[in-house]
Amino acid sequence: MSSPAIEIKGLKKSYGDVHALDGVDIKINKGEFFGLLGPNGAGKTTTINILTGLVFRDEGSTLVFGRDTVSDYRFTRSKIGIAAQEFSVDWFFPIEKLLFFQAGYYGIRKKDAAPMVEELLNRLGLDKKKNARLRQLSGGMKRRFQLAKALVHDPDIIILDEPTAGVDVELRRDLWQYLRNLHAKGKTILLTTHYIEEAELLCENVAIIDQGSILKEGSPKALTQELGTAGISIHIGNTNEKFESYLSEYIYTYEKNRLHFSVKDPDQALPKIIKRLSEANVHINSIDSTRSSLEDVFLNLTGKGINE
Amino acid sequence: MNWVGFTTLVMREVGRFFSVYRQTVLPGVITTALYIVIFGFTLEQRISEIQGVPYTLFILPGLIMMNTLNNATANTSSSMLQMKLLQQLPDLLTAPLSGFEISIAYIIGGTVRGMVNGTLVLLLGMLLIQMPVKDPLGTLVFIFLVSWAFSSMGLLLGQLAESWDQLAMMQNFFLTPLSFLGGIFYSIKMLPDWAQTLSFINPIYYMINGIRYTILGVSDSPVLISYAMAISLTLLFTMISILLMQSGKKIKQ
Repeated sequence: MSSPAIEIKGLKKSYGDVHALDGVDIKINKGEFFGLLGPNGAGKTTTINILTGLVFRDEGSTLVFGRDTVSDYRFTRSKIGIAAQEFSVDWFFPIEKLLFFQAGYYGIRKKDAAPMVEELLNRLGLDKKKNARLRQLSGGMKRRFQLAKALVHDPDIIILDEPTAGVDVELRRDLWQYLRNLHAKGKTILLTTHYIEEAELLCENVAIIDQGSILKEGSPKALTQELGTAGISIHIGNTNEKFESYLSEYIYTYEKNRLHFSVKDPDQALPKIIKRLSEANVHINSIDSTRSSLEDVFLNLTGKGINE
Repeated sequence: MNWVGFTTLVMREVGRFFSVYRQTVLPGVITTALYIVIFGFTLEQRISEIQGVPYTLFILPGLIMMNTLNNATANTSSSMLQMKLLQQLPDLLTAPLSGFEISIAYIIGGTVRGMVNGTLVLLLGMLLIQMPVKDPLGTLVFIFLVSWAFSSMGLLLGQLAESWDQLAMMQNFFLTPLSFLGGIFYSIKMLPDWAQTLSFINPIYYMINGIRYTILGVSDSPVLISYAMAISLTLLFTMISILLMQSGKKIKQ
């Protein structure tokens, strides 16, 4: 069986008295789209910085395709492309040249990198700006350039640190589609984000991190079913005294002809509730449901919202 | 060894200073031309020959050395600090490049700038005042060694500095005084004994006198000591800068 793309065990890192990471364990399989979800300062960037060699680990192991990121750094770094959250600034060279430099650092000669550089500039809508300096690009273009830089050496693993922070809705959707395409090509993607919607839409698995510890890991759906709750509101037209006995297995409130159910899995629960009400001869006027989300899961786990 | 990565970084560093040649190459040439004109037309009338050499000619090797070491130091120190402050350094530190490769590539970039500046000032002297060069190969060897040594020193200064202010302080309070006190404009034999003794602990004194010997055949110190000093400084600063880069001090957490 092949090694996981990324395997982190017992990872610890402190800055003085502050425990940035307190025993983090993460396993990401090859080809997986994985999200590391947590508020600012939770330890997301520290984790990926240790993986890529920007931060020294205190304890634990960090493996990429089974090889240590410290002792075998040439192999592990060549497998990773990282789009950092912070924009880098270069005053001297046009962006096309910067992409050639970036490919060169990974051992790819200019003539071999040329097709990839051209493709990335085209696909990310930067081709008309290839002779511009970074300072001449808009915020959205800088974000796309960060992505191009991460992809120029065609890495197997792509690490994206808050890739859509500060970009408008349209670009965010474009970037999501681009990431889905990369995933479809078999790339392993590790995404850190504090946008719940982003993790829910894109990731096959997520780990929720807070104060340097992983609180829970699993698919967004499984986490939502396990820890989230959804609301179903049913407005009824007539009542009879006995109908409540038909609903004894559910947690609900009843007020002014409105029944509100709190359920784990609304997809399963709703048909059964409707059936029960029909059996009780209750007329249903309308049904509203609020779906459970990772936001509820995060709230349940940490007792606070992700942006608090 | 990641040769492609290494040569890419060398090309970046060399390309970086050539792309702003008005700031990195021309000033040294213009300043030296001004020195030659001002000293040639004014001070030389009043200052007699030093060690049998006309004054303007006497100071030129020192000016070559000052340009060489200032530019070599400035290239690596400013490039490293700029990469740190502008978030470019993570691109290098997350790439499959070793600390050794990054250090040597930076040092070569600074060495090229030091050599370009030193050689241009040398050519300017030969052109404007027909400066004779007694041992051209020795002169180029000195320019090379000093470029490499001070490029290495610049790299470690750039890595340790946290602001432009700190770098400027090193330049203004350390490098420039040592250059001027190293005997660019005078022979240390013109100084009182205590000042002569102090000059012996100034490494730049040996650099200036070494190159002066290879150009004019006169020197305050034996040329072999100057060579030994230049080689020792080169090895010392190279080793320290490589070790510092490998340690990740001030660039990794």
